[in-house]
Amino acid sequence: MAIPTRRPSLFLAAALALALLSACSGPREYFSVIPDRDGKTGQMVVTPRQGNALALDRTNASATVRGGEISPAKLSEAELKEMYKEALAAQPMAPARFLLYFVEGGDILTAESQRELENVLAEIKKRPAPDLIVVGHTDRVGSVADNDRLALRRAEKVRSQLVAQGFSPEGISASGRGEREPLVATADEVAEARNRRVEILVR
Amino acid sequence: MKFTWLGFLSCCAVFGLVCSCPVVAQVAAASAAGQTAPAWVAQVKVSRGIVRIERGGQRFPSPVGARLKVEDTVITEANGSVGLMFADNSTLSMGPGGEVFLHTFSYDPTTYMGAFDAFVKQGTVSLQAGNLAQGAPDSVKIRTPQAEVKGNARQFLVSVEEKK
Repeated sequence: MAIPTRRPSLFLAAALALALLSACSGPREYFSVIPDRDGKTGQMVVTPRQGNALALDRTNASATVRGGEISPAKLSEAELKEMYKEALAAQPMAPARFLLYFVEGGDILTAESQRELENVLAEIKKRPAPDLIVVGHTDRVGSVADNDRLALRRAEKVRSQLVAQGFSPEGISASGRGEREPLVATADEVAEARNRRVEILVR
Repeated sequence: MKFTWLGFLSCCAVFGLVCSCPVVAQVAAASAAGQTAPAWVAQVKVSRGIVRIERGGQRFPSPVGARLKVEDTVITEANGSVGLMFADNSTLSMGPGGEVFLHTFSYDPTTYMGAFDAFVKQGTVSLQAGNLAQGAPDSVKIRTPQAEVKGNARQFLVSVEEKK
């Protein structure tokens, strides 16, 4: 009776050795979460080919995957900075953000915002390969659908003003967010000058 | 029981269709409304050393200002690094000896809905989340030879050792 009991354990040992071998060979992958410019991390879930997913949600939380199997990893901020030195150094500059405001109900910029366009042009000149995103917003006066159209019209207007200043049209995208993203929360149908705006991102 | 299960399944299918249709309609409506979104999805903002874009079997150099499309592969040589900025303000930057395939990128700037899916074949990659991750966290996905990453992390790092 001793032999049949030993055999399965031998098989088990062999299988275990094989599994260990496959887990310890082959290329390694690393995954880490680091905070953004505002110090926020959020969560990322790493799902390996085999086994359970691992959620990483603290600053510098890391995991490694090898042979399709995942395990937590301990990497310090200094180690991550060294490991990803070139990739981190190649991150594009953060977009510069400008807000321009409109006279109620239409696509005419306020006088002050018309002057602010000069600063936008100055920022464009600072960047090696600038592209612009112009996003129009409205206050909550009028229907959602009308405000989607007005928001887009505002963005298009600013876009055409920048094109008139000589900026390449294919480098500017214009879109509208309607009344979805007010700067100042209000009840519906409330006129609010600070929400009648376009946001320009110079990237 | 059998009948109920079938009923349940077909309900799921119908529900799935109903749920997916508005998204398609929304994207179509956004482009029909004359939204002036360019055809490209990302632009090279930083390029050091030798960096290439592989598109339709051909390789192109990738200087600062070059634009990328879906299904492009970005390759950095041993002295290369590159930084891309996507339409939703997310960024992806790569260190040397890297290869990343841009599998999917769709983005509706009105609703922030869409999908980002890139395959990191090898190299070191840093990803900064943009508006897509805000719209729906599971819309951003990074795949590697051995794993898949999803979530609303603001900034994450992925490194894939070269296969020997």
